[in-house]
Amino acid sequence: MPKNTPRKKKVLLPTTVVGSYSVPEWLERLKTDYYQRRISGQHLEEIHEIAIKAAIKDQEQAGIDIVSDGELRRDNDIDYFLTRIPGVHLPHHAKTDYFDYYEAEVTRPLPESEPATGMGLAGDFAFTRGQTDRPIKFSFTGPFSLSRRITDHAYKDQGELVRAIARRLNAEARALVAAGAELLQIDEPFLAGYREDVELAIDAVNIVTEGVGATWALHVCYGNRYARPLWEGHYDFLFPAVQAARVDQLVLEFARRGLDDLRLFRAYEWDRSLGLGVIDVKSAEVETSELVARRIRRALEYVPAERLVINPDCGLRHLPAEVVRAKLRAMVAGTEQVRSEIAAGEPQEESRGHKTRPARQASAGRAAPNGRVAAGAGDNAKQRA
Amino acid sequence: MRVDVRAAEKRLRESVDATAVFGPMIQTLGSAEVDLSRLRVVCDWIQYRQNFREPIDHRPLLSAWGGSNEHNGLEIAVDLRRCPDIDLTERIKDVLKTANANDQDRITLEPWVPGRESCIWRFNTLYWQALEQWEKATGREYEQALPGGESDARNREAVQELILELFKVWDDLDARQALPEELYVVELGVGNGNQAQVFLDMFAELDEARGRDYYHRLHYLMGDYSPHVLERARKAVAHHGDRISALVLDATRPAHTLGFLAGKAFLVYISNLYDNLPSDEVASIDGRMYQVEVRAYLGAADAQQISGEFGIATDQLGTLIDRLLRLGPELLSVSLPDRFPDAERAVGFWGQVWEALRLQERYVPMEGLDLYQISPSLSGEILRPVLEAAGDIRMHVNNGTLSSFADTLPLLHPYGRLQCHDLFLTDRRQYRIGYYGPGKYDGSVVNWVNGPLLQLIGNRRGFDVRFSPFKQRPTANVKTLTAQVRD
Repeated sequence: MPKNTPRKKKVLLPTTVVGSYSVPEWLERLKTDYYQRRISGQHLEEIHEIAIKAAIKDQEQAGIDIVSDGELRRDNDIDYFLTRIPGVHLPHHAKTDYFDYYEAEVTRPLPESEPATGMGLAGDFAFTRGQTDRPIKFSFTGPFSLSRRITDHAYKDQGELVRAIARRLNAEARALVAAGAELLQIDEPFLAGYREDVELAIDAVNIVTEGVGATWALHVCYGNRYARPLWEGHYDFLFPAVQAARVDQLVLEFARRGLDDLRLFRAYEWDRSLGLGVIDVKSAEVETSELVARRIRRALEYVPAERLVINPDCGLRHLPAEVVRAKLRAMVAGTEQVRSEIAAGEPQEESRGHKTRPARQASAGRAAPNGRVAAGAGDNAKQRA
Repeated sequence: MRVDVRAAEKRLRESVDATAVFGPMIQTLGSAEVDLSRLRVVCDWIQYRQNFREPIDHRPLLSAWGGSNEHNGLEIAVDLRRCPDIDLTERIKDVLKTANANDQDRITLEPWVPGRESCIWRFNTLYWQALEQWEKATGREYEQALPGGESDARNREAVQELILELFKVWDDLDARQALPEELYVVELGVGNGNQAQVFLDMFAELDEARGRDYYHRLHYLMGDYSPHVLERARKAVAHHGDRISALVLDATRPAHTLGFLAGKAFLVYISNLYDNLPSDEVASIDGRMYQVEVRAYLGAADAQQISGEFGIATDQLGTLIDRLLRLGPELLSVSLPDRFPDAERAVGFWGQVWEALRLQERYVPMEGLDLYQISPSLSGEILRPVLEAAGDIRMHVNNGTLSSFADTLPLLHPYGRLQCHDLFLTDRRQYRIGYYGPGKYDGSVVNWVNGPLLQLIGNRRGFDVRFSPFKQRPTANVKTLTAQVRD
């Protein structure tokens, strides 16, 4: 089968990643070498492509159903996008370390009337599409978080800047879909620190997804920069505002923080999918498949299997590659364990809430629109679009 | 021949008669049977009266890592401060002769090892474990050996400023209902407990005046690897009762014991600890990376003198020193009562050995920075930016400190800070104009701390690391390091 022909396969409890993949120390060094003018952009691009191929291969070998490019081209979760948004000004371009954030500013409103200059994300996706026949998740940082790293001298209030970025990302999302992307994810890593702004963030998410025929996921975590949480708390702040988000899936962290917040999905009758974080990305300790299975079974009390997607808490960039591979294998094995139980129709020990249907029935009930891996309630946005 | 003078200009002008040193030195080396094209002369001005160096030493630059002793260069190390007291010409000739004679007269106490593995650190450990006997024998407390005669962490003005800043952070968090119930402060390396006492007394006083009652939510955790030191510190703050916990821990791996505090500590407070943790040294010479290996020894004359005074055969000295380091002075006197009728006599032996202890050095090529482990969790790759940017440089790795620092940062609350008073180099260029250890402080080892490396480690983990002069003693060598979350 040619690499660019996606596999047609229905899977219950599809496994995926949140986005980033382990960044080896040598790659970090080469990225920094680029920012210090020791290697060319061309060489770094070639290095990135090889690293991405390896990351995809790792995911495939681990048995991940929906893979990503590992975000290995990106210097960090912010600058890769800000440097590509026309109108965002960077006073200084040098970095002592590739992972550092730039100081960015806008001095005039972002240009919107001129023909949209692509941010290049569609090209990134196309490269990944050419490397694998598995479904691909493509993620990018959301407008709210991007705005938090910009000093704004142009807009009357932050909301205007956030919405302007959202419109730019919407154009980019359309280009991604035109390139074949079907599962897109918006990451809002800073939102948990600005709970009072959750409605603004959701409003901006809806601008990004507007009219884009893809399955949309929204990832909200408590921060993972340098593998440290930036904030603590609970996901209560997301609700009920997030109900208004035109997304198909919420991707949240649970492994590190515990599963207590699952209650929110019942309390607010969330009727879309949940990307369940079952792997702690801030710890190098590898979970057992049994632990993963227990977490999934617990989640099944609140969300039915056909609306559950299995993933790590957040990006894997800060973990060593061998740890990542082991964690992903454990995640896949744990998921497989639960799938088998469901297929056998075994009553789930922990299940007190939603009764899980056997796999065949579940697949028939809520398959992904194009018959691919069920990425979780994937057609809401498409129908709206 | 290349001559590298690493002394500050002030030292050169005021303390060294350059003509008297450099003229004879160059003349002697020029007429010696040595390949001048592969000879480096490094001149330091060693400020420590007690140190591990002879006024003139030699250090081969080995040509390959592994067992080979072949070398492709020689370094002559000169202590400019002591040059006026010696016959320079004769000593240089002796050293060149010794270099060829393989140092047969010395009593070596260990094989060639990286600096952090040298037995000088066993002496250091012994000092903290048997501090009481040492102080009794020397008649002075260790704190008197510190610059300024006391730990800077006892400075009341500095402590007050620190506590008030802490209160401000807590007030702000409290206003947002984000202040945890338990408020943790950690002190690593507790000394005699005086700094904990100053902190806690002042904390209670200031808190009472403000009426926020943070004191009763405070948990002050004292950590030290010496149970004896810890017990003494605990007594000093006993009046603070349940607010205090004392934990025996390895300062180089604090999270091993304090893992339960991850993300919870509002202040980690460290004073004069980092300069006292094991360290390697690395060097970049002519574009090649080397690790400095050391070998502890006693000079022949010193060994003779100690042997005579304690009635020990010279060839038994090594075994006896090892026994001292294993048992400590008290048990040594119990096990060898004929030689050491009491602990004081054993401390006397210890003191004399310590005073005479020297380190031979050699440069061993590094196979690759990525293969050099600073600590189990830190790769030597972090050294690259500093080593590559600096040209020829020899610098401390401060392995114990880097490990401790990297292991402590995860304990900090997002609004927490690590504050440390110590001897920090704040710019790698300082290595070109000064000597920064190892030296001897009383019975302990001191190495200045490579600040730029700490900044790299902190930055790579998302922390801002800043150095500032110790405000209450701005001319002192001691600086204040503050690490806080950035971004």
